[in-house]
Amino acid sequence: MVKEMSSWRGVELRSRRARCDGVIDTGQHRPYLSGMIGYAASLTAAHRAFLLDLFPGDGCVLSSEGLAAFSADASRERAMPWAVVRPERRDQLVELLRWAEAERMPVYPRARGTGRVGGAVPSLGGVVVSMLRMAGEPVVDADDFVAEVLPGVITADLQAACAAKGLFYPPDPASVRISTIGGNVATCAGGLRAVKYGVTRDWVLGVEAVLPGGRVLRTGGRSHKDVVGLDLTRLFVGSNGRLGLMTGITLKLIPLPETSASALVGFADLASSLAGAGAVFRAGVLPSACEFMDQGALEALRLGPEGTSMPLAPGARAALLFKLDGTGPGVAAEMDRLTAALAPLSSVSVEVGRGEAEEMVWNARRGISAAAFRLAPDKLAEDIAVPRGRVAEAVERAREIGRAHGLHVLCFGHLGDGNIHVNIMHDRSHPGESAIAHQAADEIFRLAVSLGGTISGEHGTGLTKASFADEQLGPEAVAIMRGVRRVFDPREIMNPGKGW
Amino acid sequence: MVGVAGECILCGKCLEVCPLLAATGREELGPRAKADLCHLLARDEAGLRGADVARLAGLCLGCDRCAAVCSQGVDVPGLVAGLRGAHPDFKGWLWKTWLSHAKTLWPVGSAMAGLVPDSLRPERFGPLLKMLAGLRDGPGLTPALAPFLTPTSFPDTHRGEPMLLFPGCTATHVRQRWLAAAHSLLHGLGVAILPGDFRCCGSGLKSAGFADEARAMALHNLAAWRGAGRPKVAVFCASCLSALRGYTHYIDDPAEAEVWRNSLILLSILAKDTVFVISGAVPDRIAYHRPCHADGAGSDHLLLVAALGDRLVESTDRQCCGFGGVMALGAPELADRVNARCWDQLAGAELVLTGCSACAARLDATAPAGVAVGHWLEVIGQMRR
Repeated sequence: MVKEMSSWRGVELRSRRARCDGVIDTGQHRPYLSGMIGYAASLTAAHRAFLLDLFPGDGCVLSSEGLAAFSADASRERAMPWAVVRPERRDQLVELLRWAEAERMPVYPRARGTGRVGGAVPSLGGVVVSMLRMAGEPVVDADDFVAEVLPGVITADLQAACAAKGLFYPPDPASVRISTIGGNVATCAGGLRAVKYGVTRDWVLGVEAVLPGGRVLRTGGRSHKDVVGLDLTRLFVGSNGRLGLMTGITLKLIPLPETSASALVGFADLASSLAGAGAVFRAGVLPSACEFMDQGALEALRLGPEGTSMPLAPGARAALLFKLDGTGPGVAAEMDRLTAALAPLSSVSVEVGRGEAEEMVWNARRGISAAAFRLAPDKLAEDIAVPRGRVAEAVERAREIGRAHGLHVLCFGHLGDGNIHVNIMHDRSHPGESAIAHQAADEIFRLAVSLGGTISGEHGTGLTKASFADEQLGPEAVAIMRGVRRVFDPREIMNPGKGW
Repeated sequence: MVGVAGECILCGKCLEVCPLLAATGREELGPRAKADLCHLLARDEAGLRGADVARLAGLCLGCDRCAAVCSQGVDVPGLVAGLRGAHPDFKGWLWKTWLSHAKTLWPVGSAMAGLVPDSLRPERFGPLLKMLAGLRDGPGLTPALAPFLTPTSFPDTHRGEPMLLFPGCTATHVRQRWLAAAHSLLHGLGVAILPGDFRCCGSGLKSAGFADEARAMALHNLAAWRGAGRPKVAVFCASCLSALRGYTHYIDDPAEAEVWRNSLILLSILAKDTVFVISGAVPDRIAYHRPCHADGAGSDHLLLVAALGDRLVESTDRQCCGFGGVMALGAPELADRVNARCWDQLAGAELVLTGCSACAARLDATAPAGVAVGHWLEVIGQMRR
């Protein structure tokens, strides 16, 4: 797959969907492709000289082996950039984007490259902007309840700096320890705690960004409320780096919950596990996480060491994982209410973890993504979201789609907000199996949309789902989005080739 | 390739732990980039030249933190060692660079100068590599700082048990004080120390690409262990312990490999529950540097916490000393940046203790004025009679 997708000089790269399903194969359905004519076709000697001058020392990478590190992200899609630059100051970005707009040079913001959909892949060639050096100690203000942070700061480091002052930045994507706040804002990262605390967009108060042409835009600020004008801040959240390069982010904080406790509950089947989740919410308990694992996920775990150590009955064919946070007495009382709500249901095991034991009940959930590879060597990791009441149907039908194609499909994820991680396991070394897996993914996407949901709850659409995003959004919405983008980026140099 | 169990899935989990990436902000120096480069090179994609890949991928500290967290079993330091070994010019370059460092590090007449061979002899490489970090001849912390932790009672857990002691190159050649303290502790614990002819653990050789020579060291050390009746082996260097654990690759019989692995035990675990008293002049602010190769629980740290109480004011966790093995030869400026972050974390300490010979060497060579560095064994005194 990697080789098939490779486009080392960035000359030709087709979307995976476009190739696999054969439905969307002309520029008519992908208006974003029509504008590609006119981009810089390569890096000239003058371009190189400009970049080397603006980013001296090790700030500009031009060697093939150095560039290769910036050609792919966690999606494993790949296209080679022509140059990588490492800004340390905003004024470098002002110069860079003034030049890039004039030259119509594609520009791709990148931090840690942990996205799952190829959002950071330089699909048309051009210049990758590595934001890792735009980092430093966050300003955490315990009076204003805000943090001002540079985009290259690791989100877990930001959370630690907040916690040191008794403050809390809740969004916690699975990549929280390896991804940056800039990347989290650009992709509107979600996470386990979204059911109670929302996603990244609910916490961003303001941004500073350099726009194509070299303009600097500041939106929002430290005020937690602000209704003046259109919400440009929110426009940047989830913009996938397509409006400009963020150079500063202001975040809302809340008091750090003093404690937490978790419960891993095993059920005989999927339906009773979903009934269990319903009972907990109906009892008035709002957990800070409500995760589920289906039979396929548990099977993958049981093939490895987690299977023997996880505190779950062997007969469990579905499991729920709840986390409660807050004050000590509050969490204790809520845990009592949660276990009481589950008591009438036919759960096969209940394990409550407090203090150090809490980690134990989470190990299984953390291990699923890697454990899935025990079923097959390759994975399509999709993350559909549906209205909460349709989760059972979505999971059952996703598994049916897998069975129909002879593939392992395992479902797990954020039940509390209807966001289901669907892993389609396959072996791309078997002839045709990669295409079959993509076909299954396409069917699962259509299933999600037909249930009133979306093809992506948190991963985004990037490169791998670009054409499907257009299909879900419809031509009217896509046209308006493109118009909005052009206000910021008239020549469409920012992260091009990624749909809408 | 050496020690590679799986294929990198580019998940990026290793990015959290790589000290080189943290210190430089250069993604191409991270473990994921290196694994990916090797993958691309093997598949002949992207028109990469092997020599260029080896040069970039060779910029690895060999701390093994990435291998420890990888869900796919990818061993990037092992891949790097393989690249180094496969690079036709690497050994020649290494020898030339090594000698040029030797002249400045080991003046004629010093004890170390006697160890420098007149031609490339990999078996001498292990101890000398440590010295490249700048560890000088001499007694270490003593006599400037007399041992101040005195054992007053020992547990009976291992009394009468026969064991080998794995000394490692540094204790054997330059810091005999470590060896003496280790012997003293083992005697106090009532361990019956068996004679054993161990050589270098081979970790420096292995990561430098000398796979055959490292294997020869391992086989020699395994023979010494078998000859002694496969007893427990006490170790007091985290890097040596990590290398010794890797010997399972050289043992054909899985059952014996398991016995070997279980026989290796850190001295600080053996000495657990030993009661120490503080005596004499003691620095007020002591820090512990956690080696990259330290175990999860960190028994050295736990021992020091128990013995020193609130005098232990700081410890590192994510920071690497920047020793870097042969990388320090090729890119000393990068190793220095890693080292500087480590000292940022240790700021304010008068004395830094650690449990790894490479860390001790590197930190000793780079310590700010007025800060002493040593192995924790150096502060352990004789039991009061």
